[in-house]
Amino acid sequence: METGIRVLLLSAACALGGCASIHHLFHRHDDAQAQAASDAGASATEDSDHPPRVIDPQVERRKIKVPQIHSHNVEFGVQYGALSIENFGTNPVYGFTAAYHVSEDFFFQGAFGRSQAGRTSFETLSNISLLTPSERYFTYYDLALGYNFLPGEVFLGRKLAMTSAFYLIGGIGSTDFAGDSKFTVSFGGGYRVLPTDWMAVHIGVEDHVFQSDLLGVDKLTNNLEATIGATVFF
Amino acid sequence: MQRLPSVRCLLLVLLLATPGLCGAREYLQVFVVSPYLELHTGPGRGYPVFNVVDRDGSVDVLVRYTEWFKVRTERGVVGWVSEADMLHTVLADGSPFTFNRGDRAGFTSHRFEMGMFTGVYGGATLISAYGSLSFNSQLAAEVSVGQFLGNASNGVTADFGLTHVFMPEWRWSPFVMLGTGLVHTEPKATLVQPVNRTEQTAYVGGGVRYYLTRRFFLRAEYKSHVVFTKLNSNEEVDEWKLGFAFFF
Repeated sequence: METGIRVLLLSAACALGGCASIHHLFHRHDDAQAQAASDAGASATEDSDHPPRVIDPQVERRKIKVPQIHSHNVEFGVQYGALSIENFGTNPVYGFTAAYHVSEDFFFQGAFGRSQAGRTSFETLSNISLLTPSERYFTYYDLALGYNFLPGEVFLGRKLAMTSAFYLIGGIGSTDFAGDSKFTVSFGGGYRVLPTDWMAVHIGVEDHVFQSDLLGVDKLTNNLEATIGATVFF
Repeated sequence: MQRLPSVRCLLLVLLLATPGLCGAREYLQVFVVSPYLELHTGPGRGYPVFNVVDRDGSVDVLVRYTEWFKVRTERGVVGWVSEADMLHTVLADGSPFTFNRGDRAGFTSHRFEMGMFTGVYGGATLISAYGSLSFNSQLAAEVSVGQFLGNASNGVTADFGLTHVFMPEWRWSPFVMLGTGLVHTEPKATLVQPVNRTEQTAYVGGGVRYYLTRRFFLRAEYKSHVVFTKLNSNEEVDEWKLGFAFFF
């Protein structure tokens, strides 16, 4: 009987031990869960510093391109007209100009022109040529400073208004005529109308003055030029 | 008919390319921060004001002519705004609208300058022009060309060199020059027919520039040229000149 009680107690102890081991087993599993939870907590702590990235943004910083402002200060053009070469008659002249508008009042201009002289009255009467054909070319250039004054507007009808201005111009340059180059002072004036922002029509008068001894007397010669021209602004 | 697909492709390419070719030009948009922005009828101080843009309104800057900007308002009104008024506008990000102005600061530091002179080159009358590219406010590379017209000879010169400006912020700023060049001389006919010649030169010089107003300044300079002739001795030629110049 005593032996039976001992076996019973031993069985109960074993059963309890087994339950404990099972409990331990479950406890270990809980530990694993806790460990996992703790790991998850740690990773969550880490992720609080670096939030989880659902979409990795591949956004490049945009380079904002500011549009350039175009300037219309440079003016190129051609002109055609008549040049009165002292003692050699009036003849057609053609040329081109380049200008830089420094301010609304002032501009610098370079001009080049060419004409061909006629015959003097002496040559006509005596039938003697003073100059060779190549020497009859009257070629000039000048570098000038211009001043705009009396700015205004020209109206064509009710809807079209064009800005305009008169200008004075004076400069220095050289004239190649009769086989010699002469220092030349040029001065004059003109009127400019701008049908558009980029184009202008000019009417101008200019005097090219230089010292000449071509006809035996050293004197200042005045060579008046009247032109009409068209220019384009860049 | 087999060529039809290629024709279609060509048309498609043209169609796609057309917006690029004919696309509207993008203009700079600026916003008004002053109480209003005045629009003039023309690019000059005398042209009347015909429209205004209120504060926070915007304008597109179409083109610039000297000190004036042609702008278009949100309502499509086109007019001219002075440089001084455009200083009271900002860009879309709120930063001030800045641009190159012709003022004393520009005189101190600028990129390009050009000018023309008259003077004397070895006793002959000289006409000259120059252009300059600045590396900084003090050092610049210069090219100048000139024509001299004398009793004994005519000719042309071309110089290339460096210019160093002392105290560029001063209204009177002195400078020194060093460089080389060419001179082409055409002696006038005498009893013996002379020969045209082209020779190399070297020069050293100095001068002063004086700020006038806006983009203008006066410039006076002296160059001492040494002409490397084919003769036994070199020639020395003095060049004095005075002129107008502008920077941009």
